[in-house]
Amino acid sequence: MANISGKAYALTVLSPIKKGCIGDTSYQISYADEVQSRLHGLRDCEDSPLAKVPQTYLARFFILDDVFYESTPGCDPFCNLLDILSIFQDRFRLLTLPREDHLKSRYLVFSSNFHGDLENYLRGMWSAISADIKNIWEHCVAFDKVQDAEGFITYIKRCQLTANLFFNGSTNDPLEDDSLEEQLKALYLKQQFAKFAVSHQGLEAAELQEAFRAFIDRVQPNQLAAPTWSPGQSIP
Amino acid sequence: MTQQLDLPDIQGNIIRAYGRFGFPKGRFFFLRIDDGKMGRDFVGTITKKVTTSVSWGPDGIIPKPKAAINIAFTYNGLKALGLPRASLVGFPQEFIMGMKERKEILGDNGPSDPIYWDKVWEKHEDVHVAIAINAQTPENGQPLEYVEEAYQWVKSQIDDSHGGVVLLPGHRGDDGQEDLPFQDASILYDDHGQPCAKEHFGYTDGIGDPVFEGQITDEYRVAGRGKLTREGGWARLGTGEFLLGHPDEAHEYPKAPAPILLSRNGTFMVYRKLHQNVAKFESLLDAHAKSFPGGKELLAAKLAGRWRDNGAPIVNTPDAASKEAWDQRFAAADPRTRDGMLADFRFDLMGGKCPIGAHIRRINPRGSLEFGQDGAYDTPGALDDRRRILRRGLPYGVVRDRGSDDGNHGVIFMALNTSIERQFEFVQQQWINYANDSKEGSDKDVLLGNHNAAAPSKMVIHADPKSGQPPYFVSEIPRLVETRGGDYFFIPSMTALRMIAMGKVDPT
Amino acid sequence: MSNIAGKAYAMNVITPIRWYMAWINKLIFRLATRDSSSLRGLVTLSLIHYARWVIIDRWKFPHLDPSQPKEDLHYSYMLFFSNFNGSWDQYVDSFTFAIPSGLDLFWKKNVRYPKSVPLTPFHDYIRHNQIDTDHYYNAYPLASSNDVKSAKHLKRKLIAFEQGVRDAGPEEFLKKYHTLLVEVQYDLGDMQPAPIVSLAAQAVDARRLLDAQGRR
Repeated sequence: MANISGKAYALTVLSPIKKGCIGDTSYQISYADEVQSRLHGLRDCEDSPLAKVPQTYLARFFILDDVFYESTPGCDPFCNLLDILSIFQDRFRLLTLPREDHLKSRYLVFSSNFHGDLENYLRGMWSAISADIKNIWEHCVAFDKVQDAEGFITYIKRCQLTANLFFNGSTNDPLEDDSLEEQLKALYLKQQFAKFAVSHQGLEAAELQEAFRAFIDRVQPNQLAAPTWSPGQSIP
Repeated sequence: MTQQLDLPDIQGNIIRAYGRFGFPKGRFFFLRIDDGKMGRDFVGTITKKVTTSVSWGPDGIIPKPKAAINIAFTYNGLKALGLPRASLVGFPQEFIMGMKERKEILGDNGPSDPIYWDKVWEKHEDVHVAIAINAQTPENGQPLEYVEEAYQWVKSQIDDSHGGVVLLPGHRGDDGQEDLPFQDASILYDDHGQPCAKEHFGYTDGIGDPVFEGQITDEYRVAGRGKLTREGGWARLGTGEFLLGHPDEAHEYPKAPAPILLSRNGTFMVYRKLHQNVAKFESLLDAHAKSFPGGKELLAAKLAGRWRDNGAPIVNTPDAASKEAWDQRFAAADPRTRDGMLADFRFDLMGGKCPIGAHIRRINPRGSLEFGQDGAYDTPGALDDRRRILRRGLPYGVVRDRGSDDGNHGVIFMALNTSIERQFEFVQQQWINYANDSKEGSDKDVLLGNHNAAAPSKMVIHADPKSGQPPYFVSEIPRLVETRGGDYFFIPSMTALRMIAMGKVDPT
Repeated sequence: MSNIAGKAYAMNVITPIRWYMAWINKLIFRLATRDSSSLRGLVTLSLIHYARWVIIDRWKFPHLDPSQPKEDLHYSYMLFFSNFNGSWDQYVDSFTFAIPSGLDLFWKKNVRYPKSVPLTPFHDYIRHNQIDTDHYYNAYPLASSNDVKSAKHLKRKLIAFEQGVRDAGPEEFLKKYHTLLVEVQYDLGDMQPAPIVSLAAQAVDARRLLDAQGRR
């Protein structure tokens, strides 16, 4: 299934935003611009609401306002029919220009790379940050019908797109894809052990062994909960 | 070779590293243009004596000059000379900003912060022109005789401008002076008084200087200095990596200001005065040599990637025995074979011979970034070929006391490339002060890294798994090199110089 | 608004593709998914956390309610999302120099795709079609993709080692410890904040830090 690579899942969601605007005497803004402004107002790194959503590796939001017109140089295709016909009649020349496309709605795009099963992820997301979810999705078409986790799951699935190719560059072995807790713990251990190895270089065997035991007691390699890096941690 | 360059149009310091051609002395000084017309006249006069890239000597166009003179400009200098805005906007952002403004990108913090630089760089917008003199030394007489001759000639042109062109003082000297009018540089001499290619830490420098299409040089020098081909050989790099107006490795013309005559055959120069903390370096080696198996010189060789005494690449001489064998072969070899022994090699994938973080491996990975996945990229050096720089500098000062960091000694680092950001700045930022591309996280280059006590760095000297030894960690690394000044310059072609002098640069 | 979260950069690119040609790209992607050797260049580059390509057929934009107008497009669209390490320039350069043929395969048949070599037209094409991210979250901003992979390897080795030496005497411990060090000698890189590639982004981040410190 193309959304999955190992145990990592690629969720791609396009939610159409309502047309029209919030208008009152003090404040006028289109629904889409309001959504965008709320996204800009979200805090970053460990303070992002997504830091509270379990199993999220990397995720993003952006507003898809419209598609782009390809006013870029043409690439010379060998034996293009229109190109050849334009030798005989100039009207064919203009037909080789790209067509101008426009979207009728603006879309809120949510792309998440996470560990595990889609429904569990969305349930976890609703449970952790339902207020933020409402704040972000509030002005999207048909979102007013979402009242609970199950409603959220149904809604997201209606907006979901399937990836044609999902490249997972975070693992050398897809069968060994780690949960977020495992990844964060691994990063914590890497940092701690590198420091240990450097600062305990050259010690006598017994001394080193004792120091290592103390190290293990401190870092608790099998305890995923703590000590470890917290999601979104930006300070070493 | 598919390229025939217009050598008389190209300034000599681009094609040649003068130090290798019997020009052991250098003098660099900087000028401010206070009057555009006077400045242009000055440029016109100097241009008549600027050294180009034509061949020298009995088979050459001209006899070998006693002193070479070359000239370059900062963005503010070009502006002061009256270049039109339409040309000025075409210069790259980093050149316009100048090196001082880029300190965060370059890692010039702590003791390398511009507040500690030589005074000449204090008002960086005043630095307009760089004059470089590279000279031979006479058989008999004062070593600086030819330098002085050329310098006095340029000075008299400055005086003739009646204040239109001003020589900027502010270089630190050997005896605590802070206001010298120039920066002297010189090749170092060994214990027998013979010139050698070493720098103050004791390493032989500049062996791997790139070779590009159209550059007049012996063909055998391409091996180890050009780019790697998929078939395992070496080819010259695209001219456009080092000369504007020619196709580069991306199969296009490098971004350049308009009009073409302003930029073609020119290039950009990074000038950096780098002080070397010799005492800290020797202490670092001594401290670790106590526990590093193999001793001090092997350790020094692992840090740099070459042995200090003769530049033997550690990948081919990873221990005392192989070094001895190499030395014997080297001593008996002819110059051409010697050159191959020094330059023509590739790194070992696992780093057991040449550590992955060794200096020369960081600045020019030579196909290592393909990580042994033969054929994964277009060519083995695909990620490396556009990160090369021409080295044109010289050491400065003399170390009077190897037990002291004070003193006026280091390297005048001069790097020439067509994109300061993509070439010099990238290597400095991503490969010297960082190491993600070689999978070593934030570990910094031991020699040039901007080490700081708040987040101490380290180097892993990898173990060969068959040896039964563990890897060795070099830690407690102090900052060994401190930036003491510099800026970004544009080295125009002779055509461009003449047009600048005439005030006729116009991209309309 | 930022495309950067620590060491990761979020790139979003949307490009039109003639609807009757989209099957070619879908086929290429399906083959690439089956045969991982075609992605060897990407894997070796090791700059990417996760990346995906999504082809939206022109009549398949989500339509949730009769009140929402139905899209009426000439082209189908290809969305590309990447989470990569390093600067934008380094990433696009790497693609062009290391895997130009791979790039050409993936963007084949996209309208006005200029091929990946020479560089500047390809740069321009990506920039032209890139949408900036409005909010980007990275669970480990201090870690590059290389750091994540090496951390996993080190954790496995460390845990196995610890279990294996619980009852060992000092000499045996030392011997096995040295073996461990050799096994993880490529996994010990430090993890500090990313180099500053963009002074503009750095200024925004400095304000964020000040703001966060103020709140703590």
